[in-house]
Amino acid sequence: MSVLRKRWQYVVLFVGLAALFLLPAYSSESTVSFVNRVLIAIVAVQGLNILTGYTGQISLGQAAFMTVGGYASTLLVTQLGWNFFFALPVAALSAGVVGLIFGLPSLRVKGFYLVMATLSAQFIIPWITRNIYGDILHGAQGLNVPVPIIKLPVINNLCFFGTQFDGELGACVYRFATSDQFIHISLVVVILSTIVAHNISRSRLGRALVSIRDNDLAAELLGIDPFAYKLKAFFIAAVFAGAAGAMLAHNLRHINSVTVNLTDSILFMGMLVVGGLGTSLGPIFGATLVILLEEIATVMSPWVISVLPDNAAGATAALRPLIFGLALIVFLIFEPRGLAHRWKLTKAAWRMRPFSR
Amino acid sequence: MRKNPLLILLSIVFLALLLSGCASAAEEPTPAPPPEPTEVPVVEPVAEPTEAPAEEPMEEPTAVPTEEPVVEPTAAPTEEPEPMLRTDNLEGETIHLYHFGDLSGPYAAITGPLVFGMQDAVNALNASGGIRGAMLDVQFADTAGSVDEAVAAYDRFTSEDDNVLAMITYGSGEAEALASRFVEDQIVNLTAGFSAEAFYGPGSGYTFGLGPIYPDQLGYFLDWLVANWDEAKPASAGDEINLAYLSWPGAFGQGALTTESRAYAESLGVNIVAEEIYDLSPSADTTTALLNAQAAGANVIWTNTLAFGPAALMNGIGALGLQGQFVLAGDNWAMDLATYAFVSDPSLAVGLITPFPYLWWNDADNPGIQAAQELFDANERPAGAHNVGYLLLLAGVDLLRQSIEVAIDTVGFDALSGQALYDALTTMGPIQALDGVIRVDYSDGSRSPHNVQLRQIQGGPDAFNVLQDWTDMPDLRPAGE
Repeated sequence: MSVLRKRWQYVVLFVGLAALFLLPAYSSESTVSFVNRVLIAIVAVQGLNILTGYTGQISLGQAAFMTVGGYASTLLVTQLGWNFFFALPVAALSAGVVGLIFGLPSLRVKGFYLVMATLSAQFIIPWITRNIYGDILHGAQGLNVPVPIIKLPVINNLCFFGTQFDGELGACVYRFATSDQFIHISLVVVILSTIVAHNISRSRLGRALVSIRDNDLAAELLGIDPFAYKLKAFFIAAVFAGAAGAMLAHNLRHINSVTVNLTDSILFMGMLVVGGLGTSLGPIFGATLVILLEEIATVMSPWVISVLPDNAAGATAALRPLIFGLALIVFLIFEPRGLAHRWKLTKAAWRMRPFSR
Repeated sequence: MRKNPLLILLSIVFLALLLSGCASAAEEPTPAPPPEPTEVPVVEPVAEPTEAPAEEPMEEPTAVPTEEPVVEPTAAPTEEPEPMLRTDNLEGETIHLYHFGDLSGPYAAITGPLVFGMQDAVNALNASGGIRGAMLDVQFADTAGSVDEAVAAYDRFTSEDDNVLAMITYGSGEAEALASRFVEDQIVNLTAGFSAEAFYGPGSGYTFGLGPIYPDQLGYFLDWLVANWDEAKPASAGDEINLAYLSWPGAFGQGALTTESRAYAESLGVNIVAEEIYDLSPSADTTTALLNAQAAGANVIWTNTLAFGPAALMNGIGALGLQGQFVLAGDNWAMDLATYAFVSDPSLAVGLITPFPYLWWNDADNPGIQAAQELFDANERPAGAHNVGYLLLLAGVDLLRQSIEVAIDTVGFDALSGQALYDALTTMGPIQALDGVIRVDYSDGSRSPHNVQLRQIQGGPDAFNVLQDWTDMPDLRPAGE
């Protein structure tokens, strides 16, 4: 189903994107930082949506593939001197290859057993980053990650397009050092990943994935090779995760084996359930809502401390999982198809007004 | 193909907005290089009207600086009388401090009392008139132990306040990740996360420790161990010191084992025979790690953990019946009442040795400890908060008070900034905060203390007894610092 049907919808989208690109101009860095986190999470959840939402393969390894992307991008930039913008797609593809390896068990196992198989990625990959190639990966300490830069040549002793002269590099440089600057990278990647993910869902590949999800035996009888398509889904999901991991590492400026962990993998799954499995808008709604809930929990912490001073640590410790767990339960009971479905119903009701109620 | 004029127009507008969005960053100053704190820019007088960059067209190219800047003679400002610095009677003014840490994640057991300590110290300071009359205001954010959340908290605080003096952080991971941001924004980070990378890694420079970095702590313990091996060694041990590093994953857990500390251990003849990681969880099973250490011939265990971390090892040793087989040692946080909350049998904690960069509650003859006890009682804090975190933050706030006063005396309240505070900290020399509860000296190029005690648990929770009084530690900062 097309998300955008009419010209005015394109205009709204265009204005919305422009507003997001210009967010640093009229909003606090705190808000920009929040949006930045949401955008990075959206990319990771979009990948999971292709694997879990469209293909029906449940994975708890998404955060591990983010770790691969983060490390790969960092090493390409620091060890080989690549520019971040070249390192990003290569890092994403590296994560994709690793995702393929962990997708291999999907040939033989499914459901709960596949969850266990993908969970292994969450243990093996951090272990590798901690214990192997310590001289390059710096073990558990991890790596400091340089901020992305754009280098332009000096023309007539002048720097253009907001760049600043960098004496060390001998060039005009634009640094994506703060959230205000990094959000432009995140937005471009999210736009691209959304276009790719949405088009996958409408392509032959997407239809094959959905048929495997709905009935893999029937799909096979129709000539679809479930193993090949499941592997493709694992690859694509890991590519998205790798891109998100690379962005996260360069945004945080640091990566180690626990920067993204099992909890994040579970959170991504929660975002997908809350947003709506197998829909283009689901990852966007889900990531926004869950991170917003996390933010609310953070803002509520001082209030909880003041109300329950004797049990402050325990109460604040409970706050975040409590809010997330409640949201998940509420959605599973009242809207199991997620916010995207609710949005679809609302749009349909608006179109049919005044005959809808 | 028919071209849609509306689409073309919108595309042009979009492109223009995008370019202007990117160009806005050009107005921001380029990140500061690592600090040159004491140099005061004197080329331009302060009162000189500054150019308004916002009025310039965004696409205006910036000139590449020429190699020799032209310095114009500045005779006029010297003839004007020096403006009076506001250093006293600051009633009505507010000094903002920010701290963030893990109150809802794995480190909550230690962060909770740190936050209580911060609150009580600031309340007490404000009740006694604040700093020269200026009141302290403290903002806290919970990071749940996540670096992502820490960066978000940092962004939130810096967007709310253009002149942040100092932030207090509690985790090694967040201190590492934020180190370069503190330098760029010239904000002092007073931290209880003693990762060497955060203090001395590339791009760091504004991170100051309330205690020594973990590699120094390990080196300090090894110094003592080598000198006292005959008395300290387990009955079954030979002359060789074989150390097993059993710890948590992550920046904190692995913080003591660096290239420098490994080389130092080797230079002392200490063999690191096993490196094992166990879960960052109160229910972690350490028996496998312990058995591996035993199989590797270890007779000494170092753990860089806290609260349930050392307790898990103690419980494992008890479960395996390995009491007396190892000298158990750890970082400063390992010796704390929080550890006792997780030990199945308090006797298992006896013998634990750690560096101790502060006094303890049983040093009751110290006026700082007495003041801390009075504050703790007056605020009716729960017994669980009567630990190292509470004490350290009382001292930390006193350290900040002293350094802020020096900064105010130097630059005046109106010019008080993170840079001024940095200058104060690095020029004050030896500082004894809270009557000597902690002792620091950041004037020697080091941003972490190098003088500590070594203590051992020799009885119950109140018997953290001194094995070695205040002594200098080995300097195991990363190479290049």
